[in-house]
Amino acid sequence: MDYTLQFSAVFDELPYLLGGAVVTLQIAFVTFWCGALIGIFGAVAKVYGGPVTSRVAHGYVVFFTNTPALVQIFLLYYALPEAGILLGPLTAVLIGLTLNAGAYLTEILRAGVISVRRTEIEAATTLGMSGLQILRFVMLPHIAKTIFAPLSNFFIWLVLGSSLAALFGVEELTGRAINISTENLRSIETFTVVAAIYVVLTVVASTSLALVGRYAFRVRAKVF
Amino acid sequence: MLERLLEEVPLFFNYHNLVFIAQAMGRTLWMTLVGCSIGFAAGLLLAVIRQSRSRLLLPIRAVVIAYVETFRRIPFLVILFIVLFVIEPLMPGTSLLGIATVSVCLLSTAFLSEIVRSGLESVPPEQVEGARTLNFSALQMLLLVILPQSWRVILPPAAAFVVMFVKDTSLASQLGVIELTFAGKMLVNRGFSPVLGFGAILVCYFLLSYPLSRFAAYLEKRLAPS
Repeated sequence: MDYTLQFSAVFDELPYLLGGAVVTLQIAFVTFWCGALIGIFGAVAKVYGGPVTSRVAHGYVVFFTNTPALVQIFLLYYALPEAGILLGPLTAVLIGLTLNAGAYLTEILRAGVISVRRTEIEAATTLGMSGLQILRFVMLPHIAKTIFAPLSNFFIWLVLGSSLAALFGVEELTGRAINISTENLRSIETFTVVAAIYVVLTVVASTSLALVGRYAFRVRAKVF
Repeated sequence: MLERLLEEVPLFFNYHNLVFIAQAMGRTLWMTLVGCSIGFAAGLLLAVIRQSRSRLLLPIRAVVIAYVETFRRIPFLVILFIVLFVIEPLMPGTSLLGIATVSVCLLSTAFLSEIVRSGLESVPPEQVEGARTLNFSALQMLLLVILPQSWRVILPPAAAFVVMFVKDTSLASQLGVIELTFAGKMLVNRGFSPVLGFGAILVCYFLLSYPLSRFAAYLEKRLAPS
């Protein structure tokens, strides 16, 4: 069995691949922030909501965290057209991943909301702090400390998870790798290089997140 | 749309389709359980090597750390492709299910070794020092002192990880392993409505994952250090 690894064919396409990495990061960013928006509402509904709203939020989380994102997006992409709603591949992936991220982030943010004790808020009110001051000086430090590490882990998870967009023909990092490897037939080399790009991407992301956490929220976050 | 669904439902839930889905469910479960069991054993080994302080093991330790830190940062889909393209020419005739299981092993080893490591680190150093004073060998120390105390830190996140992987195996459908997601695709290709096909698959995943996640939550509550 003779096979010589040849990376030159892949290195020629490096700019194209790095462009895909940018798309990957964009998908991760969009789904993270939209998911966080859902997550905030979900967490508040779960903790402070009435019996109906908290049930609904709970059901949403249970459904989306117990089924694969891939199949959810399949449903959005192939089943919605039957109801007359046509989604492009990127839109379907973004909506699917956002709904999925919203469910996980609801759970993460809920832990943050719980971490603020009611007595502390009462104490702050007694001291005459305004609502905004309470949020900034009493609630935020607690919430940041509890959720910063899981949040940054989840962001990394999204960067890696967004690779499933390739299966719908979105040209992000993995998608472009598939494009290249079908052309140059250097599959092993192509995917090894792509794996290396993912490693660099996530190391950079978690390092910068750890720095942000340390200097903006005084959270000690580990990179490795 | 609704009429079409109602028309198809009796056709969809016939004996052959149900057996087909059940077999696919079995493959999903097989990949997860076998892959994660091997991954757990290997992860335990890697974690122990990483925790060891012997100078002899230093080069191995470096390899272990590099392995764990890289594989946790590569998407499962990319690992699947790499394993496929490496194994296919080396060992022609390996089943796709085998290839997918190997990929699961590679990834779960990296993640579970981190989980095990945090468990090993949770044991107070006084315990280790005490055992050393009592002249325990390294193996005795691990088996009699460290592991019994770290299970309750290891098991809940490990169970949560396995639950997570039930869903991640859906990516193996891309190789052509006939697991749940691929079964759904095939049913849809046979002409059933995507709502019905993928909807049924979604329910199947839920049936696999929900009890497991409840079990993980139970473990977390039961084993929580009080």
